[in-house]
Amino acid sequence: MTRIDQFESVFRAAAKSRYTPGEVKLDRIMVVTDLDADAGRRYTARIATFLEGVTGIDSAAWTALHGETETVGALLEAVQNHEPDLVCTYRNLHSGSFRWPYTLGDHAAVLTQVTRAPVLLLPRPEDMTDEAVNNTDRVMAITDHLAGDARLVDHAVAFTRTGGRLTLAHVEDDGVFERYLDVVGKIPEIDTDTARELIRARLLKEPADYVETIRQALAEGGLGAGIQVASEITMGHQLSVYRALVERQRIDLLVLNTKDDDQLAMHGLAYPLAVELRRVPMLML
Amino acid sequence: MTPTVLAAGAAAASSTPPDVPLWVTTIFAGLLVGLVLCLAFEEKIHAKKSLIAGVFAVISLFLGDALGLLPVGDVVNIWGQHLHLPVWLQGVDWPVIGIILGSSLFVDVASGSGLFTWIAVKLTKASGGDPYKLLWSYGVMTVVFSAVLNNVTAMIIVGSLTAVSLDKLDRRDKLLGFLLTEGLLTNIGGLLTLISSVPNIIVGTTAGISFMKFFVVAAPFVVVATVVTILLAAKQFGITRLADDAARARATAQVAGFDENEGLSSRAFFSFSAVMTLAFIVCIAGASALPVLRDLGMAFVACAFAVIMLVRYKSEVDRFYRAVDWDLLGFFAGLFIVINVMEHAQVLALIGRGLEHVLAMGDLLGSGVLLVASAGFSSVTDNIPLAAMLAKILGGLGTPGDSAFWWSVIFGANLGGNITPIGSASTLVAVTIIHKNKLPMTFAGFVKAAVPYAAVQIVLATAYLLVFLR
Repeated sequence: MTRIDQFESVFRAAAKSRYTPGEVKLDRIMVVTDLDADAGRRYTARIATFLEGVTGIDSAAWTALHGETETVGALLEAVQNHEPDLVCTYRNLHSGSFRWPYTLGDHAAVLTQVTRAPVLLLPRPEDMTDEAVNNTDRVMAITDHLAGDARLVDHAVAFTRTGGRLTLAHVEDDGVFERYLDVVGKIPEIDTDTARELIRARLLKEPADYVETIRQALAEGGLGAGIQVASEITMGHQLSVYRALVERQRIDLLVLNTKDDDQLAMHGLAYPLAVELRRVPMLML
Repeated sequence: MTPTVLAAGAAAASSTPPDVPLWVTTIFAGLLVGLVLCLAFEEKIHAKKSLIAGVFAVISLFLGDALGLLPVGDVVNIWGQHLHLPVWLQGVDWPVIGIILGSSLFVDVASGSGLFTWIAVKLTKASGGDPYKLLWSYGVMTVVFSAVLNNVTAMIIVGSLTAVSLDKLDRRDKLLGFLLTEGLLTNIGGLLTLISSVPNIIVGTTAGISFMKFFVVAAPFVVVATVVTILLAAKQFGITRLADDAARARATAQVAGFDENEGLSSRAFFSFSAVMTLAFIVCIAGASALPVLRDLGMAFVACAFAVIMLVRYKSEVDRFYRAVDWDLLGFFAGLFIVINVMEHAQVLALIGRGLEHVLAMGDLLGSGVLLVASAGFSSVTDNIPLAAMLAKILGGLGTPGDSAFWWSVIFGANLGGNITPIGSASTLVAVTIIHKNKLPMTFAGFVKAAVPYAAVQIVLATAYLLVFLR
């Protein structure tokens, strides 16, 4: 390694991402169900209870579409017309496929990718119990790239009730890590043990440093006052670790990114989580 | 065999030069030209400096001894002991090697504490991300680091930071201007102290110029040349202050993300390194006046500080030994041997006769011509052989220590490095960082951009020399 590389590395490491709080607008909320009007009203009321304490929710204007968006096209058109700041819906809308829990259904899958508004994916009406959907006391934001993801943090902060706990989770995929280390182990010029130790430490340090700036920014700005910020930064099989964390901490709301600039399909981690954690509300950005 | 008095050095041995035929002198002069050409085309022939100098040292020694030019036999040390010390070992200027080895190790270990990166990041944050303030901060930092550390390390530290910080500020369009300016400033900073560059060490020690004397003479020029260079660069590359409060606030937020503590290995070692760096500068500066140190010399100071710093890494000092620029040290050793042989072969006397014509032009014209000629020569090949050769010749001609001619060589050898990218190691590093950042910069492009700066600096140096130093 040349000395230029050495110093560049030091300075790149010193140039850290800092969290700057941004505004989360929740002026217009749209609820989309495939229920009849009465059931739809009850479902909407439950959502409103669930979201009590979310920043800016008190002054939001609610629009409910119950059974009016049978086709994906109709749903997208409705979203385009209303320009909501948040769309609330559930899996397998207008479909019987919810009996086979292997997909989200066409509506939710397309909606999360097409609309710019966050989608709050809730349990289906039959699973919408008080126990499952109570409040947003325990919110977890999950990502494999926390550092610099201010939008994700903004929404997670906004959706955590005062007095609640926000967990910022960052799990590095150990499968990918081991694959690269396997290659490093075959390159004589690189010391494998040193590479393992330093890369692992660096991968985990960056999100940890970012969490620290989040704590500082929230404290300095008086934002998120009364929110306890915790972090879970580790390596492992992402899906297993997140699932275990959600269950162990009895998370009320998961906040995650679903869009991927490189592909049309949902972000690699979001889809399996959304399919498997069917009873956990998810805010999909 | 007649013993040589070691204390008096090799110069004493050659004080009564043998009658060397002209054809022999011509052969050795040819060798010297060959060495200089090989060094100039080092990149083309894909050979390291140490090897080039080593090959010429071997040939010179072999021929020198075969032709009976070299004094052989025992030497007598200051205790009157007879030592068998090969003639080629006596040719090496060990104090110079000691200063370079000791200060390189010291700087390397001190860098590991994060001290210099801490200073660099602090300055970046203090600038608030304003490009104009950054240019001044980085410019002054380049000069100071070049003076305290060495040109190459200064360029690496400041150049690396520049690339990262301008990237963070979305100012990559200014990167070329910044890097070029910093490259040019390394050679100005290299003029500030006796130990800032190798030509300074070689010429300064030969002329008997003390550290403080060197600093007092060079500092005013360095300040003026730095200010002029930065002002010219700001104008040429359109580096101006940020226009409004919103832009300033955005830039401040962007550089606020820099964490100066990131590179710190430990707080205690950081503080220790800061204290030791200050102590190092004080001891080097006072080496000619302080008791004990004035006997042991600057090489002792440099090596002693290196040893003290290495105690921190006592079980892994080999890591720092590996990082020493052995190519540079090998090059010096080989070069000193070649020059010593050239002295015995009367090549230096031959060049000296030519130089006498320049010196005969008088203080005014002679020192000016010598400065410009030194700069021209340094621009196309390594300035170290030039400095070593001219120092030896000026010393041999009995030039007094306060003569302006010494300064002509010092200014010329340093500033000549700003004319071409191969003129100095630090400008070569600047070009390497430019290319690493995928910016276009050809040899001719560098010369075109740098020549106006170098011309202004050389004119300033000549004027300074003629007005204040003659």
